[in-house]
Amino acid sequence: MRILLDRGDSVTHDLEESWGGPATFAFLPQRGGVPEEWALQALGQIPASMRTGHFALLSSGSTGEPRLVLGSRIRAEALARALHEVQASEPVRRAVALLPLTYSYAFVNQWLWARTLGRAFERTAGFAQPARLAAALDASDQAMVCLVAAHVPLLEQHFGDRDFPGVIRVHFAGSRFPQERLATVRRLFPNAEIFNNYGCIEAMPRLTVRRASDGDSAADVGRPLPGVELDASPDGRLLFRSPYSAVGFCDATGFHEIAADEWVATGDLGHRGRDGRWELDGRSGEVFKRYGEKVSLPLLLESVRSAWGGAGAFYRETDPLGEPGHVLFLSPRPTPEQLHAILAIFRERLARATWPLRIESAPSVPMLAHGKVDAGALATAPERRVEWSQRLG
Amino acid sequence: MSNREKLKNLVLDVFLLDESEFRFDLRREDIGTWDSLGTVSLAVGIQDVFGHHLSPAEATSLASVADIVAILRARGVDFPDA
Repeated sequence: MRILLDRGDSVTHDLEESWGGPATFAFLPQRGGVPEEWALQALGQIPASMRTGHFALLSSGSTGEPRLVLGSRIRAEALARALHEVQASEPVRRAVALLPLTYSYAFVNQWLWARTLGRAFERTAGFAQPARLAAALDASDQAMVCLVAAHVPLLEQHFGDRDFPGVIRVHFAGSRFPQERLATVRRLFPNAEIFNNYGCIEAMPRLTVRRASDGDSAADVGRPLPGVELDASPDGRLLFRSPYSAVGFCDATGFHEIAADEWVATGDLGHRGRDGRWELDGRSGEVFKRYGEKVSLPLLLESVRSAWGGAGAFYRETDPLGEPGHVLFLSPRPTPEQLHAILAIFRERLARATWPLRIESAPSVPMLAHGKVDAGALATAPERRVEWSQRLG
Repeated sequence: MSNREKLKNLVLDVFLLDESEFRFDLRREDIGTWDSLGTVSLAVGIQDVFGHHLSPAEATSLASVADIVAILRARGVDFPDA
């Protein structure tokens, strides 16, 4: 077994070699990951039967604790083929990557898809080098990109009115689907079919897909991929069983095998919608009871969308009475009129127990390398300012 | 800022009222957002803004803006024109 660190452009050659070789390998970020010793120790816990033909990626999961998630190369290649079919990707000649390759989404949907289906793969540094990214998108012909919702405002900010007609597939995953920004996505990529992909790293990583044109709600994640089963537990936790799923994971407590017939929690709450589609209700930690009132942070954000078009995120905090609460974090700073409109929505539509303890703002939202909000850094974000407080924390 | 202004801002903030809705004769039943949690917020706000702690019994006995003025006056807070 070996560890492969993502050292940038040259890593695709090493990846090719590792994927083609027998030994199980872990593909880890060079920076911001875990100490190599931790990874080596975790790899050492993998059973002998899985020390060939597998690969491992790092996740902090919903717990914030590092996990090394082990996938089967045969299963992952089968998933790449299944995605190819469901997303009608036959015309796509090239994958242009913006996200770190150690992120399971970019790894499977792009690098492995390109390798398995014999397509070109081009890596960029994303928005760390916007000019290089723009050049890659400009030069693209029949290309596919994988984005997270946070990329949409960045594309607008960096590339203004430009568009990229050579991109014919745009995928979203990794966070809430940017339903309200679809017009912008369509303007940026006028020839692209747009898909909402849903999954989690334990699914390695896809579970459902829907075309953007097939729904009008960000919560609608579409139908399960062929062979994938979804179910909701009585308390609303979304569970899956998948022929493509990870085979196990290592954390601080050891190796945990995921059996082929095991129902696995996605970490999200969800329910079966119409026509066999599934709808998300939020992350497990994003839905909770406060003074007996159910608080759904995604729904709360949804409810202020008419007053607030910027970025919104939450972090959790307990109030002085010991009840779980939350802080709404906005970026950029709201105008007094926007703040007034948001508070008016709270007053008119929401029970006080569901209001945030505070509304805070900062010029930018702290982000992780793969484009998700760094929820752990919100409470200490630079230039953070309290815009309004319930005076309960 | 006068104590009158401070109290007005506190009530607007805690109960999310528009400035045009505020009056010193507002009663609890006039304010849809004055629920039990609102009472807790109000008590914490009074501590923050005026530096006076209200006991739970005092906080729950408040039934109007005039009651707030009265309890603060009893603690020596000056409200000359309220």
